[in-house]
Amino acid sequence: MLKYLFKRLFEALIVLFCVSIIAFLLIRMTPGNPALMMLPDGAPEEAIREMEIQLGLDKPLYVQYFMYISDVLHGDLGVSTSYRQDVADIIWGRIPVTVELALLSVFFGCLIAIPLGIIAGSRQGSATDFFCMVFALLGQSMSPVWLSVLNVFVFGVWLGWLPTMGTGTWAHAVLPVLTLAYPMAASIARIARSGMIDTLSEDYITATYAKGISGVKVHWKYAFRNALVPVVTLVGLQLGSFLAGTIIVETVFGWAGIGQLLNQSVGNRDYALVQSLLLITAACFVVINFVVDVINSFIDPRNKLGG
Amino acid sequence: MKKQILIRRMLHSPFFMVGAVVVAIIFLFVIFGPFFLPYEPTQSSLTETFRAPEGFSKGLEGHILGTDELGRDVLTRLLIGGRYSLVIAISVVLIMVIFGTVMGIVAGYAGGIVDSIIMRLCDIVLAIPNLILAIVFMAVMGISVTNLIFVLAFAGWVECCRVTRNNVRVLKNQDFVKASVSLGASHFHIMFTQILPNVTTPIIILASQKIGFTILLEAALSFLSLGIQPPIPSWGNMIANGRTFMTIYPWLVFAPGIALMFCVLGFNFLGDGLRDILDPKKRR
Repeated sequence: MLKYLFKRLFEALIVLFCVSIIAFLLIRMTPGNPALMMLPDGAPEEAIREMEIQLGLDKPLYVQYFMYISDVLHGDLGVSTSYRQDVADIIWGRIPVTVELALLSVFFGCLIAIPLGIIAGSRQGSATDFFCMVFALLGQSMSPVWLSVLNVFVFGVWLGWLPTMGTGTWAHAVLPVLTLAYPMAASIARIARSGMIDTLSEDYITATYAKGISGVKVHWKYAFRNALVPVVTLVGLQLGSFLAGTIIVETVFGWAGIGQLLNQSVGNRDYALVQSLLLITAACFVVINFVVDVINSFIDPRNKLGG
Repeated sequence: MKKQILIRRMLHSPFFMVGAVVVAIIFLFVIFGPFFLPYEPTQSSLTETFRAPEGFSKGLEGHILGTDELGRDVLTRLLIGGRYSLVIAISVVLIMVIFGTVMGIVAGYAGGIVDSIIMRLCDIVLAIPNLILAIVFMAVMGISVTNLIFVLAFAGWVECCRVTRNNVRVLKNQDFVKASVSLGASHFHIMFTQILPNVTTPIIILASQKIGFTILLEAALSFLSLGIQPPIPSWGNMIANGRTFMTIYPWLVFAPGIALMFCVLGFNFLGDGLRDILDPKKRR
């Protein structure tokens, strides 16, 4: 068990190391001299040289990388060129909004999708099953772009029930959460359904039936637990990539979170911010995946052998 | 699989039939539609701004889906935008499937260090969500259709590679491969004429499901103005543009939104149906 976890941890660190190299090279690939960005227009030649030395641009690339990575490990993510502030401070201030959005969406998505998927999977071919499949296919075909605009139109403009811009009350959260949760619920319902179908066809379930245990008990006590394994994996993946989902939603609904920040900093060519956000996203993804592996090895002890 | 069995299964799969019909209709409209309309997608007319949809009341000469803020015909833009979406999605999926399959076969067949390197490469690409990867690359490399195709393909090849690699690892130990080795066949021959035909089914299924996903991703990028650039129309940038006027002129977002939804729905139904047909054991 411990050996397996160490192996996974080692792989995770390699991935993070490579992502940090990519994030570092990203800034070097962009046209323009970073020293010029820090100085006012028409700065004299000596000032530019001085700034280059101060930023370490005169050193070889690998030295620059080690300077960068040691700064990152000390919590110094650089200075944003568009905000003239520490990148770490800006990002830190934006995190609560995005985390709130992501957790609410995952919570409501699971609340609807897991029971739906499990019931559909245990009654394959029934009306519930058909409804579940249509719900899932429709959700997976909904572009977040179109769904968010549609929600704004229907609930904000047409019915006038809910606010469509900004944050504050719970009413402000309904539409963004709905927009993020539906596509998520669609894929969770689908994977819960197929997980249930797979589990119900296993030998140990047949054995429990043979012992004379009632159908309801078999489904909810014995099969449910194992059907959860792919669900936990998927929810982890969804949480790990929540930033991707929130870019559109935060932009449309005017939430000042990380997703909106990424969109703006790409527009502003603020590469220090983009670089750090890239690194943070990858780190979130790797950490959450690692946690998911640990959780799954507790739910189904057979999993750790497969590693 | 026999042709008759395949056709019978196709006709009996409601998902496949619905998907096939929707996709066929979209292709017909997008390819031939613009030839019947008298407008150009970028042709603006300041005397005809914000015309409400006229339907077929004036035949094909009228603005069937209305006009936008520059007086451009919405239906014409919708169909031309659809051409871009479909051409991009299909080229992206072709590139990602070819690249992913080759990498997957090489990784699975070679094993050892080559396998480890390719798999870690997959982990790295997977660690950055597709949309973010695409946004950052487009911002750094510059916005063009070629870059768009490259970026979307690069974000998507990993799944294809992993699926192929896992299948190849199973196949590698089977008797027909061992027989080829003992007959002195080259690695290249074994990989691409012996193993490849046996791993195509999951790849076809994956590819059909990836088309819808790619269209969604392209729409999201165009919506964030990092994809197809105005004045060239695309469903994503039409939604972004129409959003400003949504309260008064809702058809400007409804037309591209509904087109996007039906198109992706059609491809997703087709992909699901195809999986039921080609791999009936994995029906889910």
